[in-house]
Amino acid sequence: MTTHELRADAVTVGFDEREVLHGLDLSVPDGRITVIVGPNACGKSTLLRTLARLLRPSAGEVTLDGMPLRGYPGKKLATSIGLLPQQPIAPDGITVEDLVTRGRYPRQGLFGQRTIADVIAVQAALIATDTADLASRRVEELSGGQRQRVWIAMALAQETDILLLDEPTTYLDVTHQIEVLDLLVELNHRAGTTIVMVLHDLNLAARYADHMVVMAEGRIVAEGAPAEVVTAETVRQAFALESLVVADPVSGSPMVVPMGRFHTA
Amino acid sequence: MTRRGVLVPIVLVVGIIALAYASLAIGSFDAAPSNVLAALQGGDDRFTVVRLRLPRMVLAVLVGACLGIAGTIFQTLLSNPLASPDLIGVSQGASAAAVGAILLGGLSGAAVSLLAFTGAVAVALLITLLSWRHGISSYRFVLIGIGIAFVVQAFLGYLLTRADVRDAQAALVWLVGSIGTPRWDEIAVTALLAALLVVALVSLAPKLRMLQLGDDTATGLGVAVTRSRILLTLVAVGFAAVAVAVAGPVLFVAFVAGPIAKRVTRSSGAALVVSALVGCVVVLAADFLGQRAIADVRVPVGVVTSLVGAPYLLWMLARDNRSRGSL
Repeated sequence: MTTHELRADAVTVGFDEREVLHGLDLSVPDGRITVIVGPNACGKSTLLRTLARLLRPSAGEVTLDGMPLRGYPGKKLATSIGLLPQQPIAPDGITVEDLVTRGRYPRQGLFGQRTIADVIAVQAALIATDTADLASRRVEELSGGQRQRVWIAMALAQETDILLLDEPTTYLDVTHQIEVLDLLVELNHRAGTTIVMVLHDLNLAARYADHMVVMAEGRIVAEGAPAEVVTAETVRQAFALESLVVADPVSGSPMVVPMGRFHTA
Repeated sequence: MTRRGVLVPIVLVVGIIALAYASLAIGSFDAAPSNVLAALQGGDDRFTVVRLRLPRMVLAVLVGACLGIAGTIFQTLLSNPLASPDLIGVSQGASAAAVGAILLGGLSGAAVSLLAFTGAVAVALLITLLSWRHGISSYRFVLIGIGIAFVVQAFLGYLLTRADVRDAQAALVWLVGSIGTPRWDEIAVTALLAALLVVALVSLAPKLRMLQLGDDTATGLGVAVTRSRILLTLVAVGFAAVAVAVAGPVLFVAFVAGPIAKRVTRSSGAALVVSALVGCVVVLAADFLGQRAIADVRVPVGVVTSLVGAPYLLWMLARDNRSRGSL
């Protein structure tokens, strides 16, 4: 595991005329779990996609180890930064093993020939995600939770030091949400993988994040350890929501209890 | 590699050899089985077998392989079974340019082939430009392509109505897709171009597999998505144009080869080799039937493939409507 410095400097990103990120700075802590939260359309997905070089900033720069992302050859960068998009597409009829093996693409030669290292990495990824039993199954036959673990296995087979995930728990029930997040923590503890993800659920974010980034309207409004960042004031500022922040009885992390017109403290 | 992955190509190759052999031996004049091999080595039935039937059979194999590959690349790249060059206007573009060259310019031979290629590329470029919005969108590409196919078809119709009857007759024979008895230099050029395209495809094939996972995932895996899509489109257009230039738009071969290959191999990937083999089988079989099924009636290969392909299209649409609710 080598150390990396992934950062965004004064990054501005827009679609057509509309600017989504306004000169945003972010330094991703190496070897930690960073979670980006914020209301809908605040630009959190855009930020993640920019870090993953899916979007190119119109101003500013995303750099890895001091060099702009666009300066890297695609495959080279793909051995350092892995990505799980929000809605990845599994081709019709693909088996789990075939899909996971595709994560090896950046480490394969021009013609995609397979090596022993590929076979080992794929098996390791299947085992780490508890999907080895599913290897010969078709991806479309799997449940949502299994499918998400298979996609994470593909990202693991890529063997990157940094893993970016765009809402990896969306469409999953609460059991599978926890299962996926636990898997990511395990990966972070065992391999020291730097994880950056966008999450919708503030309380799960606060529980699983080492570093939390709260965004609103294309800017970062608060950043730091969940215990410092998640306050009623920040929630009001970012989400325009009154809330009570208490300690999570299970993890001790801050827990946001929202208020509404009919429920106030 | 699964057992099926090994077995299917072997069965297809055996089928191709059997069909090729039948094409050489059977016809208005039947050569005895032993005489076919003798003829190839300079024996008795040399004229019929080597002069008339061999070039036709070789070209059928080449055309089938090119169309099979072209169709699969398009269908995989655009993740849509309707995205075959003969349905999205690429083949029509090649036809229009070639027919224009024959009727207006009085050209023939290599010049027609070159113009056919130019026409195919021009249509592909036009579809790309019209469907471009922050990159290539598959769905728009297919819809716009189908629209353009009709526009080009209308232009072709106009060319034909304006032409001299005899010229139009010649163009029409070519337009339904026919193999005829090609000269060996035509075959050599076709084979050479196909070989060059295969070389280009070898390094692009792994990228095609990654693009199947969607543009985001492919980018994350290090594929230069837009560049790869453009190169793969060009190669697919090239394969389609090579086939159309020499045999006319033999419809539905490109369309059915990929799905059949996928079904027999039960693979998810773009089964490029198997699609090429399926294309060979389809064209060989269609040409064999067209020439020999009805005594004294010669039906161009394109008519046979359409007779078989069009019902397949209907069946596919009906089946997909039942099982998935949409394409």
